Amino acid sequence: MAQLSNRELNATARELVTRVRQGMGGLAAVAMGVAGSALAEAPQDGRIGYVLTERHWALYQTEEAREECPDGFNIGPREQFDVLFPEEAGVQRTELDTRLAREGDRFHLSTEPDQFEFHVAQGTHAYGVNLDGSVDADDYLSPDGVEGIDNQLQRALGCIPIYRGPDGAFYHFSNLFMYGNAYNRWVIELTGVDDLENDDDVTVSFYRGLDDLVTDASGTGFVPGGTQRVDVRWGQSFIQHVKGQITDGVLTTEPADRAKFPWSFPNIGGGFHIFRDFQLQLTLTPETAQGVLAGYADVEHFSHRLNRNWTTHHQSYGQLSAASLYRAMKKLADGYPDPQTGENTAISAAVDVKMHQVHVVHPDQTLTASRP
Amino acid sequence: MTVTRSKIEIAALAGLLAGLSFAAGGAAAAERHEYSKYWQTAESGHEEAYIRELMPAGFQVLNAPLEGPVYADERGRTLYIWPLGALRNGSTGDRKDSPSNCTDEVLRVSAGLMSPYPPGLLLPDADERRSCAEVWPPVLAADDAEAVGKWTITERSDGSRQWSYDGFPLYTSTLDEAPGDAYGGSKLDSARDGGIVRDPVGPPPDVPADFGVVQTTTGRLLVTEDDFSVYVWDGDEPGKSNCRGACLEDWAPVPAPEIAVDRGDWSVIRHESGFKQWAYRNQPLYTYKKDPGARSFVGSDVPDWTAPEWHNVYTQRAVRPPREFTVQDVEAGGQVLADSQGRTIYIYNCSDDSVAQLSCNHPGAAQEYRLAICGNGDPEVCLQTWPYVPAEPEAVSDSALWTVLAIDPTSGRLAEAGQENALHVWAYRKRPVYTYRGDLGPGTTNGDGIGEFTGRRNGYKAFVLRDDFGRNAFRR
Repeated sequence: MAQLSNRELNATARELVTRVRQGMGGLAAVAMGVAGSALAEAPQDGRIGYVLTERHWALYQTEEAREECPDGFNIGPREQFDVLFPEEAGVQRTELDTRLAREGDRFHLSTEPDQFEFHVAQGTHAYGVNLDGSVDADDYLSPDGVEGIDNQLQRALGCIPIYRGPDGAFYHFSNLFMYGNAYNRWVIELTGVDDLENDDDVTVSFYRGLDDLVTDASGTGFVPGGTQRVDVRWGQSFIQHVKGQITDGVLTTEPADRAKFPWSFPNIGGGFHIFRDFQLQLTLTPETAQGVLAGYADVEHFSHRLNRNWTTHHQSYGQLSAASLYRAMKKLADGYPDPQTGENTAISAAVDVKMHQVHVVHPDQTLTASRP
Repeated sequence: MTVTRSKIEIAALAGLLAGLSFAAGGAAAAERHEYSKYWQTAESGHEEAYIRELMPAGFQVLNAPLEGPVYADERGRTLYIWPLGALRNGSTGDRKDSPSNCTDEVLRVSAGLMSPYPPGLLLPDADERRSCAEVWPPVLAADDAEAVGKWTITERSDGSRQWSYDGFPLYTSTLDEAPGDAYGGSKLDSARDGGIVRDPVGPPPDVPADFGVVQTTTGRLLVTEDDFSVYVWDGDEPGKSNCRGACLEDWAPVPAPEIAVDRGDWSVIRHESGFKQWAYRNQPLYTYKKDPGARSFVGSDVPDWTAPEWHNVYTQRAVRPPREFTVQDVEAGGQVLADSQGRTIYIYNCSDDSVAQLSCNHPGAAQEYRLAICGNGDPEVCLQTWPYVPAEPEAVSDSALWTVLAIDPTSGRLAEAGQENALHVWAYRKRPVYTYRGDLGPGTTNGDGIGEFTGRRNGYKAFVLRDDFGRNAFRR
């Protein structure tokens, strides 16, 4: 058997992911074709739940990033530090002027320009949703040929290696940490479902679950059929109900004006994103739901969540400068202008998600009612 | 394209109001249940019993308000060790069964132990720094002192003799002022990125081999030998279990070995089903079959978290904080200490990047670290972003852990005597506590993790009482 170098393995893995991503619609179509007749049956009591088992910021990647990052990747904290504070004979630098100044900038973000050029991702394709219903000059084309895709976050994140799959540190670890931290246990439940393939009126509820994910014997693959108790004590702010419809096995929800989506790392007291116009496009089977969630991500909240969950050390492993990213996101923000300043406060975004079917267990109503 | 809609966030406002009403209701609930859940009154006087080990002359065991029994020198100063630990770019601390690495050298530059910053940077307090040995005076042994039990003697680089306990050189802390103080460190587990910290040492808790004790932020939690919580039930009588039938479906009496006998706080009762059951302070002990994992507080939510009948067990709880503090449910999945308005309380953590890993988390230390995080160097911004929790100048807490400090608002250091603009603030273990401007209402911990290494190295952590999603790790 031929041996592959790490470089070759990584390239192969990246290609595989790209192919899988690009083939997502095709896979869904195959799934629908095979299981379509079985799906025509209504789930028991018209109710089916799914729990989040994978999530990544949706980035359209080409091989070696040739299309989206023709000028290369952005530099991160280590590289910026070296530029700002080069070693010079006889110069005694201080922590106050270097480390502490840099850390201060990370938590007191500014849009004032710095000396570092930010490479915005180029290209014409992106995953996501046409959030505003229009086709504009800065919109993308989806790999399936849908015009008007709003995903300006891709421009901000696309040339930062940490966010790129499959080996970017954030790409990998934020998913890994989701498994073991029930704060992130995001659950949806569809009710009023007459037909899992076509139903023009279903209700989709968002919850936070309380339980561990159910894996297969390898411990790395997830299986349907688990249970998730709804977190009604601490998870009230994650509970929301929206209307949706299922067309040819694809669930599309109406936009929720504002939704809170958990995205926390270990040992941190919470961490979430605020999405405006939050909506789902998921291909449903009785076992899985797969597709994208999309909306306008609140920029300030994005940066706040990032910096308290992911340290400079961790940002360094993937060339993520939080201060530089913030500047870029503020420039690229395309939604929800501040009524006072007119500056956009949110940026269009999409998240690749995969979910597995679970039985959603609602709490005893007496216990719920006793909440002060 | 630009989305121009502007909507009144009625839902968000409703959520905020709901949170506020909960704060009011929650305060009342706290009076009923939460204080006794986490703390004891000053009058109750429960202290953890300990196993008496062989000890050299001149040392003693004192009870620290949070840490329980600790070893102290003859002047009552708590003893600490500094075990070797790994940081991102290297290790420091004392190696077991080796001489001290805490020396008389004054270290003025960073060691580069924490990624991504390089070594050799001048530390903020370079001009006024003390050596490790000045901050952590070694516990010296007399010329004729001899090893006994776990207590041994090593030689320092200057030829002096230093006591060690369990193989680690012993120190006292210049932060401790009175017998029983343990402000130099904690028995709480250390998160690696929080620095290589000092641990107070004490004798082992006197619990049967089937049990252990976990240090929490409010006291010494009794657990089984495999770290699962044990509970007591209001439905029991002293020395008698009334848990039968349906009760036993969810609750398992903690069995005592056939040879077990009564000892101190511990007694063996005969459950009506016939086997022996452990009781602690005359209350039968149980584990909860539905606990999701170790160190759980879930059983103490039964039958209803607002009026529980089952309770976690501590060998020693800290005395309750000042009365204006409350207990608050938070969306992070647990409970935190909060101010009178339900706003989460935060503690500032800091260890410097010298080889000595000296703490910078108290108002006597260099404030440049904290000011960088809370205000990008601007004290005014700090005061707005991370307000101190104000206190009446003469306020006194029942708990020795809580005191009022006078702080110079400009420097963040202790104010001079009589300083007119001094802020009188609550301090926990001689460190001011804070709220966070980004917590717009009760129940949020948006400030948790702000700072270097998720708030453990140079930043802010919420005062967590219970952390279900974090498996109640209770890390420093």
